[in-house]
Amino acid sequence: MTPPDAGRSPTIQLASGSWIWDVASDVLHADARFASLTGLDPIVAVAGAPGARFFEGVVPEDLLRVKIAVAAVMRGAESFARTYRVRDAEGVVRWVSARGRGESDASGKVVRFSGELADVTELKRVEEQLRVAQNAGGVGTFEHIDGFGTATVSDQFCRLLGLQPSTALPMRTINSVVCPDNPPIIQGADFSGAGPGGYSELRIRRADTGEERWIARRGEHRADNVGGGPSFIGVIYDITETKHTEEKLQELTRTLEARVQERTRERDRIWNLSLDLIAVVGRDGALRSVNPAWSLLLGYEEGVLLGRPLAEFVHPEDHLVVARALAAQAPAEHVDLRLRDAKSAWRQIDWTFVPEGDALYATGRDVTERRQLEDQLRQSQKMEAVGQLTGGIAHDFNNMLTGIMAGLELARRRIEAGRSPEAFRFMDGAVASAERAAALTHRLLAFSRRQTLDPQSVDVGELVLSMEDLLRRTLGERVALAVASSPDLWPARCDANQLESALLNLAINARDAMPDGGKLTIECVTQSLNQPHPSQPEPIQPGDYVVVSVSDTGVGMPDSVKAKVFDPFFTTKPIGKGTGLGLSMVYGFVRQSGGHVGISSKSGIGTTVKLYLPRLTGRPPQQGVSPDGAGPVLRATGEGVLVVEDDVQVKLMISAALADIGYRVLEAVDANEALEILKGGEAFDLLITDVGLPGMNGRQLAELARQLRPQLPVLFVTGYAANVSVRADFLEAGMHMITKPFSVEALATAVRESLKGSPSLRAKRSDPSS
Amino acid sequence: MNAPSVVLDDLERDAMTELVNIGVSRAAASLRTMVGQQVMLSVPSLEVVSRATAAVLVREREPDSLVVVRQDFTGAFYGQALLIFPETNSLELVRAVTGGLLSADEAAGMEDEALAETANVVLSNCLATLANMLERPLEMSLPQVMRGEAARLFDVSPSLAADAVVLFLYINFAIDDRNIRGYIAMLLDLPSLEALRSLIRSFISRIVGEGVPPP
Repeated sequence: MTPPDAGRSPTIQLASGSWIWDVASDVLHADARFASLTGLDPIVAVAGAPGARFFEGVVPEDLLRVKIAVAAVMRGAESFARTYRVRDAEGVVRWVSARGRGESDASGKVVRFSGELADVTELKRVEEQLRVAQNAGGVGTFEHIDGFGTATVSDQFCRLLGLQPSTALPMRTINSVVCPDNPPIIQGADFSGAGPGGYSELRIRRADTGEERWIARRGEHRADNVGGGPSFIGVIYDITETKHTEEKLQELTRTLEARVQERTRERDRIWNLSLDLIAVVGRDGALRSVNPAWSLLLGYEEGVLLGRPLAEFVHPEDHLVVARALAAQAPAEHVDLRLRDAKSAWRQIDWTFVPEGDALYATGRDVTERRQLEDQLRQSQKMEAVGQLTGGIAHDFNNMLTGIMAGLELARRRIEAGRSPEAFRFMDGAVASAERAAALTHRLLAFSRRQTLDPQSVDVGELVLSMEDLLRRTLGERVALAVASSPDLWPARCDANQLESALLNLAINARDAMPDGGKLTIECVTQSLNQPHPSQPEPIQPGDYVVVSVSDTGVGMPDSVKAKVFDPFFTTKPIGKGTGLGLSMVYGFVRQSGGHVGISSKSGIGTTVKLYLPRLTGRPPQQGVSPDGAGPVLRATGEGVLVVEDDVQVKLMISAALADIGYRVLEAVDANEALEILKGGEAFDLLITDVGLPGMNGRQLAELARQLRPQLPVLFVTGYAANVSVRADFLEAGMHMITKPFSVEALATAVRESLKGSPSLRAKRSDPSS
Repeated sequence: MNAPSVVLDDLERDAMTELVNIGVSRAAASLRTMVGQQVMLSVPSLEVVSRATAAVLVREREPDSLVVVRQDFTGAFYGQALLIFPETNSLELVRAVTGGLLSADEAAGMEDEALAETANVVLSNCLATLANMLERPLEMSLPQVMRGEAARLFDVSPSLAADAVVLFLYINFAIDDRNIRGYIAMLLDLPSLEALRSLIRSFISRIVGEGVPPP
């Protein structure tokens, strides 16, 4: 809207051309510079040309404007000022600024039009560049000469402040847009409030919209200005966005603090309210920080705990666990530690340790009550099962006792009636019942792991093959059996009879797991383990093993069942169908033999039980006396036998049986009586003693007896004995063992075998006089 | 800025500026005769703005109080012509015009009269030149002096429609080597502006063809 020359008086370039137009004679005189700028012939120009040649070189786009301005001069306008384009003598288009004056005579008739023409091409270009730069950069410029009421400004300057575009504005107008308490945009030279580099940030209210904006002003005081006094010259630009971003950042920072505080409060609340123990523990084990739950649960004040080692409050048996947790690099869960509370009671705490840097972050949950409840539950389950079992056993035993008692009663009546031969049938029946009862007690002992094992060198492969027929009959027609054994099987060290029993047990379980038929596979392999091998229910320890695996294709079992399958009394069978002792017996036998049991199972796929039997090393253990030793009862020749037995009936039976055979029998009810006989010097050749005597036990009696009578043969009688589970470890040379119940024949055989080592008898035998 | 719906193009604006330029040149000649001193008047530019914008322009450019001399005109187009000075300048102008013959007190005493007379010379010459150049007669009222704030200046005539536009012209006074700035504003309603424009067009075609060789 504003013409290019509006309000400006562009600096006249050096070497401007000049013209004089004599209107009355219509002759234009121009100098060489004018001529070269307009392309006019310089000679013609100087000599004088028709007035219309003034328009020589003016580009067509600008010609009309120039003509209008000249026409105005010709009609009385005194001032002429136009900027327009001309094509110069070399054909180059240039911007020129023409300033001229019309002069009239007294009558008002225009007589002369003269002026100067300057090349402002460069100036226009610079101005244009500046304008583009200002618009593109949103930068407005200003210049204020000291002492003046107005400042020269750019359009962009006006736009930034919301002022109407102008080339000059009063200082008051400019500074009136500034909000109170902000420095003025333009200040006099004496103003000292400007920041370094004349930089200020100030808030303005736009003159047009009233909107508040942030403006940065950067200015410079110039000592002197061309054509004026000292000046203040500079630029302004809008920094509202930057300011807003800054404010947002500050707001964010401020609220961040608040948020962090809130979070911290939340954490503190958890720390304070938690019923679990929470602690920060140094790698050295010292408690660095503890939460209030410590005093609530354990009764220790914070001050007592801080700095003290955690281990100090931990049960000595758990110190190793603590040390391991403190050294761990990875988080550890379910670390069970017993902690002593202020009243010296132990609390069971389930810990989670998370190591981080030089400290561990630990939380501990009190599981004392839970563990107790679990134990109680387990105990009550056990009692229930024991009740069930004892009920079943009592029932079985009653049947068997009925058979024995009735048989004996009937036998006695037949004998009394003089029909002795008829008595045998009943007596045989009684013996059969008794043998069944013996087998049942044997099984119970196996489950309790208090059976007396007789570990021998066992060729497991051969044993399994020998059982094939038995197994096939047991499994029935619907279950296929496959038996495989690797050829170079090591000999295993275990009780062959128990292994047979265990395999039978497993086979029966497998059969029951395959109600619709299937396949049972028994494999025997050797296996050496250098490190613990993960397995259920427990890892297999390193060692050499003969492994017997029994696999079925049955229904399998869920994990919950698998976890309990070796527990005593656990059974999946209906009440009355199983005792729950089968797998427990297997487990007991294998563990007692120094081996391991592994089980794997998948529902719908089948179950595999692996028996890891220890490889036999060194010489085979000494063969014991077979408890079932049979053979003709040989007559004795009056050898002396001391029988020590607290059970009167048993003592009576043993004494009677031995006397029948021909032994001279001495009797004692306990160790003291026996020792008196020993000290009394009465001669006898064999000590037969019950292991489980009241007071001093049979083993101790035997040792004392040996002190009095070295090499005295001893025959132990045992129902079960916790300390005699492995025969070979219990017995010294010249000592033997017989397990209750036993037959008269077995007793006779055992006594005869024992007497073979008697020194007194050897002496007698070597004495020719006897 | 509220741009009027009828605007002059560059050429028309140039021509209008020159018309006023001729007018003030004649006024300067009259003043020279009156005061016997060198007086130069020139009009460097013209803006066509709305009344509201004109008020803003004046307020921003002249924040101090103003002295305004107003003359109404009627004819082919009608409206008001205003000559505007900052109040501080008006006394300067009076002194310059009276050529230092009066004391400061005397000048102050006859300020209004001197201003009205000076303005009458300027405005009358401008309007007379317009009428002459555009070949349409214009009748003018007597000059009237007003003082006050810019906002009120363009609210002077209820007879003008709200959409009236203002031809806003700078005017430089150079009297006795003193520079005094002022403004000439012509308030016109749109029909008047339209009439003025067509007269300007005729003027242009007349003068370009007259005594000027074809390009």
